[in-house]
Amino acid sequence: MKISDRALRAMASRAEAGQNTRRGTDAPEGTRRGGRALQRPDWAPETIDVERPSVARMYDYYLGGSHNFAVDRAAAQKMVAAVPEAPLMAQANRAFLRRAVQHLTDAGIRQFLDIGSGIPTVGNVHEIAQRHAPDSRVVYVDVDPVAVAHSREILAGNDGATVVQEDLRRPERILAHPDVRSMIDFSQPVAVLVVAVLHFVADDDRPAEVLRTLRAALAPGSYLVLSQASDDGRGEAERAEAEQVYRRTDNPLWVRSRAELTAFFDGFELVEPGVVWVPQWRPESPESAEDAERAVFLGGVGRLGG
Amino acid sequence: MGESPDAASGGAFARAWAKALWGTSYLPMTQAQLEALLRRLTDLLAQTLRAEPLDLRVGHRVATELVAAHIASAEALGRTLEVIQLRLIRDLDLAADDIADRMARLMAAVATGYARALRDRTLDEQESIRRAAMTARAEAERALRASEARFRHQATHDPLTDLPNRTLFAERLAAAVDAAAGSGRRVGLCFLDLDRFKRINDSYGHQIGDRALVAAARRVSRAVEPHLVARLGGDAFVILVERSTGTGDVVAVAEAALAALAEPVLVDGHDVTITGSVGIVERRAADSSPDDLMRAAGSTLNWAKTAGGARWALYDAERDDREQARQALSAAIPTGLERGEFFLDYQPLASLHDGSLLGVEALVRWRHPQLGVLRPDTFIGLAEETGLIVPLGGWVLAEACREAVGWTAATAQPPYVSVNLAVRQVRRPGLVQEVRALLRRTGLPPDRLQLEITESTMMSGAEEPVRALRTLADLGVRIAIDDFGTGYSNLAYLRDLPVTELKVAGEFVRGLRAPEAPDERILASLVSLAHALNLTVTAEGVETGGQADRLRAIGCDAGQGWHFGRPAPAENILARVKGRAPC
Ligand SMILES: C[S@@+](CC[C@H](N)C(=O)[O-])C[C@H]1O[C@@H](n2cnc3c(N)ncnc32)[C@H](O)[C@@H]1O
Repeated sequence: MKISDRALRAMASRAEAGQNTRRGTDAPEGTRRGGRALQRPDWAPETIDVERPSVARMYDYYLGGSHNFAVDRAAAQKMVAAVPEAPLMAQANRAFLRRAVQHLTDAGIRQFLDIGSGIPTVGNVHEIAQRHAPDSRVVYVDVDPVAVAHSREILAGNDGATVVQEDLRRPERILAHPDVRSMIDFSQPVAVLVVAVLHFVADDDRPAEVLRTLRAALAPGSYLVLSQASDDGRGEAERAEAEQVYRRTDNPLWVRSRAELTAFFDGFELVEPGVVWVPQWRPESPESAEDAERAVFLGGVGRLGG
Repeated sequence: MGESPDAASGGAFARAWAKALWGTSYLPMTQAQLEALLRRLTDLLAQTLRAEPLDLRVGHRVATELVAAHIASAEALGRTLEVIQLRLIRDLDLAADDIADRMARLMAAVATGYARALRDRTLDEQESIRRAAMTARAEAERALRASEARFRHQATHDPLTDLPNRTLFAERLAAAVDAAAGSGRRVGLCFLDLDRFKRINDSYGHQIGDRALVAAARRVSRAVEPHLVARLGGDAFVILVERSTGTGDVVAVAEAALAALAEPVLVDGHDVTITGSVGIVERRAADSSPDDLMRAAGSTLNWAKTAGGARWALYDAERDDREQARQALSAAIPTGLERGEFFLDYQPLASLHDGSLLGVEALVRWRHPQLGVLRPDTFIGLAEETGLIVPLGGWVLAEACREAVGWTAATAQPPYVSVNLAVRQVRRPGLVQEVRALLRRTGLPPDRLQLEITESTMMSGAEEPVRALRTLADLGVRIAIDDFGTGYSNLAYLRDLPVTELKVAGEFVRGLRAPEAPDERILASLVSLAHALNLTVTAEGVETGGQADRLRAIGCDAGQGWHFGRPAPAENILARVKGRAPC
């Protein structure tokens, strides 16, 4: 037996005439944006699909890790077949990350916000930072739920590091996240790492605005570490071929030029040597910077003055 | 162990080793750190190759350390074996008789140890990523369930008060009624509405109104726990009393709710006083549907409201039936008008001097398709309440004029037709035009039309109706005060009004049994006063010849009642006018 809605509506019609029914503003954001109250809200999570390759686990494979599944390896191998240097590129990027964190730790930075942190494999930010300065605090952020779950396991028992599942494209959510807030004091300098992630953010998702939002939350003396895939200085033919390859992967890459990457540092002062191929960024020895442009990744570190 | 004699050559070897390893996999250390590590392992290997007996465990240890330092790939093993094989003996000057043999055994131990460590590491990593995937999936499912629960909560609760909303209430009520089907179980509803809540919104603003609402909601739901309290919208709430044992249970719930509201709510420094009204229904669940229960509770709430609010009312089936019937009847008036279900009868007003027919009063009847012919007292009151009296009265007026014209043509002394006008009709602007147009259209002489109004119509003090009546009187239309004597009966004000006749209520006539009864004296003075004011007097409700005699003796001008003729159709009046059939 069901009550007809009409009957109930009729009963409440007196009330409807009153004012206290205009309550749209109390609905959660998702439902409000949907317009109708009973639409599926956007905070409903997606399910985990390990049948699809994940860039986080492919990256782990390039670095020599075994935190990956057959689908990831198959995708990575396809990539390697097209771009044989892919693993070296990943390793060079990871080494850049290590040197950059080391540099920042030496510069006195004790707070790190690592966005697009990936699967914690080897040489993680908190290991580098806390080895040098045990009071360093690190928050990892990734959209990949498996990467996040794995990070959480690795970080269990480490009071100075945590992980949150958020999307770089929603920086205001990252900044407002309670776990981020409780680990990081934004009145003090923070190093924000956006390393090998920005090429997953389409121009339509306005990466410059994302970075501006992050910058606005930072105290003077903070840093931004950026790296991303670039087609800078390549011929038309090469560029076309590279794009061809990227298009075929699940996560199309948004390759960008050195000028574009430099523009992302808007508001920051670039630390020497500026935006360069990642092996050229403060190399440990001259020979390790050889063949640098084959690295594909451009990177740099900027400091927020003031 | 002190500084080894081959420090320089060991360093060169370690550098070569490091170079060979570069790029095999990601090595999370600086070049210097890598070289330092390899240098240490080089020394270990050199010492072992020199020592007697050959300690193969060192081979395992070197391999394990490499893998632990993340130098962990097939390529790294291959390059390691290669560089050791090619350079270690030469660089560190390890030549000895059995060196090839010792080297082979040590390398075998390194390879074995490395493969073992690498396999363990691979398995560990596979296990950990699989566990992470499982955790992530479990987490996603938990979050999905939580979001579904949240979604469901949101769909079934009112966002302002967080009380169950109409949807959830409907579900619970339907379930309660369903569950009770076939059993003798009873259910109750309290339909609660805050009295004049709009005023709180208006005087304090919506924000405070909302907070007062939240406070009221919280109090009520706490006071009636564990019964379900839902907000239907606005300031309307409903309480579901499942498994009631009788009316008393539900009345107690209603009283608790009203008591909870009685204390003023302090919102933002304002003492906001809220009262509520409750409509209570309580019955065997099997005897009713949820819709019925809700409707009954709603009507009952209206009773509590019309009784002044701040109280509960208990459902009364008879009263509800009556009201419903009335409502149905009033709703049928417009269609009845459209379909021509109304018609007029006319009752004679006879001269008390010579018995001649002075006029007739038009009386409306309704030939209702289901209920048969209805007298005006069953529906005029309803029509007055709902405003339908305006179209209905307009129709009566027009119809009476139309039929009266027939009598005018039939005789030189035609009776006037007297039509009742309701307050709303008189107050309505445009009455004068309406009457004028009617007279023009039908050709009825104005003095053959009499409009009957009640005393109260004139007593409102409003200027406009008096002016309208004066205009009509100036046209020649007769104006009568109906039911005189039952209301305020102020003769003084009649002096200033355009009235031609007083109709004295039947109550006085009924009192005329004994001569010199008080009613007769009242009536006598009334008649003489009326005459002094130049008004004629018609007595209503004259049923007997005796009454007619007394009225005549008093000096009353005319009479109306069964004694002079019952209400009859227009044709009968026409016949009587023509003198053929005295009624
Ligand atoms: C190539 S890995 C980089 C890992 C680490 N930053 C490094 O450079 O060694 C890229 C990571 O970014 C994550 N990612 C991709 N798009 C993202 C987004 N919109 N928000 C947050 N993380 C994202 C992927 O899940 C993956 O773990």
